[in-house]
Amino acid sequence: MLKSIKYVLHENFTNLFRIYSISKYELLGDMRDSKLGLFWNFAHPFIQVLTYWFAFGLVFNKKDVTMYNTTVPYIFWMLGGMVVWFLISPCITNGCNAVFSKINVITKMKFPVSILPATVVLKELFNHLCLMIILLVIFLFGGYHPTLHWLELFYYLICAIIFSVSLSMTTSVLNMLARDTRKLVLALMRLLLYLTPILWSMDQLSHAPKFIIFIMKANPIYYIVQGYRDCFFYHKGLIFYSNSMIAFWAITLVLFVFGSCMMYKFKHKFIDLI
Amino acid sequence: MSQEYAIEFKHVSKIYTLKTKNKEQSNKRFYALKDINFQIPKGEVVGILGTNGSGKSTMSVILAGISEVDEGEMIVNGEQALIAINTGLNQQLTGLENIELKGALLGLTKKRVKEITEGVIEFAEIGDFLYQPVKKYSSGMKSRLGFSINLCLDPDILIVDEALSVGDKGFAQKCINKMKELKEQGKTIVFISHSLPQVRDFCDTALWIEGGMLKEYGEVNKVCDNYAQYVDYYNALDNAGKKKERDGKFEKRVIKGKVKKSFFDRIFR
Repeated sequence: MLKSIKYVLHENFTNLFRIYSISKYELLGDMRDSKLGLFWNFAHPFIQVLTYWFAFGLVFNKKDVTMYNTTVPYIFWMLGGMVVWFLISPCITNGCNAVFSKINVITKMKFPVSILPATVVLKELFNHLCLMIILLVIFLFGGYHPTLHWLELFYYLICAIIFSVSLSMTTSVLNMLARDTRKLVLALMRLLLYLTPILWSMDQLSHAPKFIIFIMKANPIYYIVQGYRDCFFYHKGLIFYSNSMIAFWAITLVLFVFGSCMMYKFKHKFIDLI
Repeated sequence: MSQEYAIEFKHVSKIYTLKTKNKEQSNKRFYALKDINFQIPKGEVVGILGTNGSGKSTMSVILAGISEVDEGEMIVNGEQALIAINTGLNQQLTGLENIELKGALLGLTKKRVKEITEGVIEFAEIGDFLYQPVKKYSSGMKSRLGFSINLCLDPDILIVDEALSVGDKGFAQKCINKMKELKEQGKTIVFISHSLPQVRDFCDTALWIEGGMLKEYGEVNKVCDNYAQYVDYYNALDNAGKKKERDGKFEKRVIKGKVKKSFFDRIFR
């Protein structure tokens, strides 16, 4: 077990340039595909944000959300959580396909397969950066100015990256064993969006049984979403969420260890699994 | 002693699973390679010959370290690299970007990629097409680009799998000359090809695989003659004879009576 973790970490850190190049040129390739190129990296999330604003802000006319004695207009509250969902969701769906989509490369040359999840995440990170710029502009117009607490965003961003890489590590290998994995993950993602308190707040669940709330709070994505919101609005600090933090890191660690073991086990067998 | 060999195969077998037509029967297992033994000394250029489906490509992926052997042992002294022409080229990117991308895919450092760029452009003869997206390249031009990048790697053992079947004669000759240069430097080269003249011209020894088994390994002209003779003999057969020959080979490769492995066995084995 330790051997496989060491192997995966070593492979990832010795191939940083490779990871960077693969994601860079994949992004570039996607941009070249269209006439407007980089514009779409901004336009796509912006239009998505607009959709949610129309549906929940205008049509449903959701009430302001009050939490920890801070009241935030629904649209800003939702955006604060949605922004990180737009990072994690494509990371999970594409991460699942990370190894399979590179099948022509790994069958033709000696290639460190375990870096592939990281390339997918790095690629999505660029899109996340674009979205963050849009979000910053919106927040400035809404009167939310950057404070020192926003620096904690980096911690939560790293959390999101490590979580996505760990999960992709597991799902991408499982996807090689059986292509059903991807179909299952795609179906579950839609469910996950509504299971995670992104569009609704945890307070709305207060009538539910205790153990459901407990499971909800142990959701690693909830930890990241809540963390982002904390940075934007509540300013409670990292320690305030220590229970969720423990749950998050425990789950991430388990995923990472399991993923590494799978990677190590199948590193030379992928070619026979096509 | 073993240090003098670049590649050593000891009773190597590779097994694939075949699906059978009716579901009740368990899946058959099939030897892609069966009990192969040979030793390739360092600095030798070996041609691998064989008809279609005889296991040449399986051999090349095993040699390159991409696939694992199921039985036996393979000992490789040195870094091996498989020449894969069209892999890793992104259709949307320009030639120059593709050099960087493929260089990185092959694991070169940033500095090394810069160093080789000039040489690749020179060797691939792409000229002004450098700034065109690769999708607009002709297939010959694409292969030239891919091949040139691959040659700039500096492995101890080079595996070339039918790489020269594309591109015109002039370029093929250029590649052979380049590989001869590498040969002078003492690299071991495994050359997989259907072109007998190329093999005769370029290789020292040849290895003939037939039906997943090692038929002959020795001096290049002798093996080539025998192989050519076999191909002629096979072609001279009538259809029934050909089928009989094929079935006979196939029978030897199938393993009977095997237990089917379940999905979970594969994960937790």
